[in-house]
Amino acid sequence: MKHIAKIIILTCLFFWSGYSFAQTPKDKVEALRVSFISQRLELTNSESEKFWPVYNEYNDKIKAIKKNLRQSYKKGVDNLSNKEAEELYQLDIKSKQAETEVHTQYAQKIKDIIGVKKFVKLRVAEEEFKLEIIKNIKDKSD
Amino acid sequence: MKTKGDIAKVLIFIGTIFLFNPQIKAQAKLDSLKIKLPKHYFKTVINVDGYRKASQAFADTNDFLAKRLKTYGLNQFSLSFYTPIITDTEVDTVKHITKNTHILITGNYMRLQPVFNNIKQHDLVKMGVGMRFIFNTGKKAVWFFDVSPFVTRDVTYPSEAYFRMASTIVYSYNVSEKFNWRVGATKSFMWGNKNYWPFLGIRIGRLDKTNLSIQFPRSINLNVPIGPKWTLSAYTKPQGGMYNFSNHDSLYYIGNDATFSYTRYELNTGFRADLRMNDKFNFYFAFGTSSKNNITFYSEKANKDKPKLPPYKTYFFSQNLGPTLFINCGMTFKFGKTRTFYKDRNMYDVMDLNNTIDVGDNNNGIGNPQIPITPKSKKDVNLNSIQDLIDYNDF
Repeated sequence: MKHIAKIIILTCLFFWSGYSFAQTPKDKVEALRVSFISQRLELTNSESEKFWPVYNEYNDKIKAIKKNLRQSYKKGVDNLSNKEAEELYQLDIKSKQAETEVHTQYAQKIKDIIGVKKFVKLRVAEEEFKLEIIKNIKDKSD
Repeated sequence: MKTKGDIAKVLIFIGTIFLFNPQIKAQAKLDSLKIKLPKHYFKTVINVDGYRKASQAFADTNDFLAKRLKTYGLNQFSLSFYTPIITDTEVDTVKHITKNTHILITGNYMRLQPVFNNIKQHDLVKMGVGMRFIFNTGKKAVWFFDVSPFVTRDVTYPSEAYFRMASTIVYSYNVSEKFNWRVGATKSFMWGNKNYWPFLGIRIGRLDKTNLSIQFPRSINLNVPIGPKWTLSAYTKPQGGMYNFSNHDSLYYIGNDATFSYTRYELNTGFRADLRMNDKFNFYFAFGTSSKNNITFYSEKANKDKPKLPPYKTYFFSQNLGPTLFINCGMTFKFGKTRTFYKDRNMYDVMDLNNTIDVGDNNNGIGNPQIPITPKSKKDVNLNSIQDLIDYNDF
């Protein structure tokens, strides 16, 4: 039992030390966004059970595309050869195309589930959330 | 020393699972960009749990064994895990329903130390590997099947090992986000004996908000999230099991068995705090009173010689002890990238089922570390945290 207590205390200290740089803010924003959209859309029970799995899948795909592109740029662009720059350029174009493809594909699915009026509401809610977050950051930095 | 050997075996087994974990490999490609998306909804979760029940004297001063053993307390350590091995998602494009099937491997190692004042310490080990199958119909229902075979042995002295198996089947129906009912059957040892129980459950309240969950015969919980990191709970649940006990101390004085069976159960009522420290680690601490404390010794051979009696009724020692205090703490480690399932009522229920019927029939209860709780404030928001959401032109 003493050994267990030691292991637990040590592990807690280890994780507590890493707590400050844990990646919680991203998850937090995602949870806030979902909550914001949920309030704005006022989905029925039946719409909700179909909408969220599809919307989550859509977001997973868009985020994956953006992350993939961001990571490619993170390697540095100052000393790129022409070939490497061309590859990055192609990736950039393909990523935008992929985003459009995913958007088109899922927009149709989402429209079928919640109807065109709520689809428009969804787009507005997404924009409003972005503006609210930007305002929040601006207020903090002022 | 044998315990160390057993721990090593469990760790090697877990390590092997991580080495060949399909979660790392089984990812879907995103068209021409060859982007890999997570395939599973479940993370691989490892739980370390410590439980201690204070020692107390046997009240029956006339019983020969009670006088000999004097006091009874418990120390329990368990290490358990689950990992997804197959996740199949099917989208019905006509009805717009997303169904998914999850197959998980589970594993459990428990070391139990019943503390008797007057005999040398015995270490009782229970270990097993099981499997669970969960089917989310995509509408309102979720099916859950679990089999948890395990072996128990007294590792302090040479003794026989016994094979047993717990299993559960549950049909869960989400009437709405705020109300769920469950029905099923369970074969469990947590009430100290092999029992076949109906499984009946209801939940009132959303899983990511305050909720009351009554899951017979497993637990009654009132869960109150305090912000996105803390959840406080008041609960009552049984804990117990059947173990093998070496007769090295000649406690079984009627026959000459080398090993006899030891069963225990208690009903724990208390308070618990769960802290979600980050997306990889959770910690919980609980305390309260342990009542209905029972300890029973019986001979497997004597039982078999009297086949007309119900199983495990022929015992040579059985005592009920008064209430005492217990403490319980544990850590949960979560690994792997998963699909998101925000506001997906059925997936929340899938997660809750998987954690309510926890690994190895120990009824530890690891909480619901994967169900996201909505934060109220935006104070942690910074530019890095929203880079997937905004473009330059948004400013």
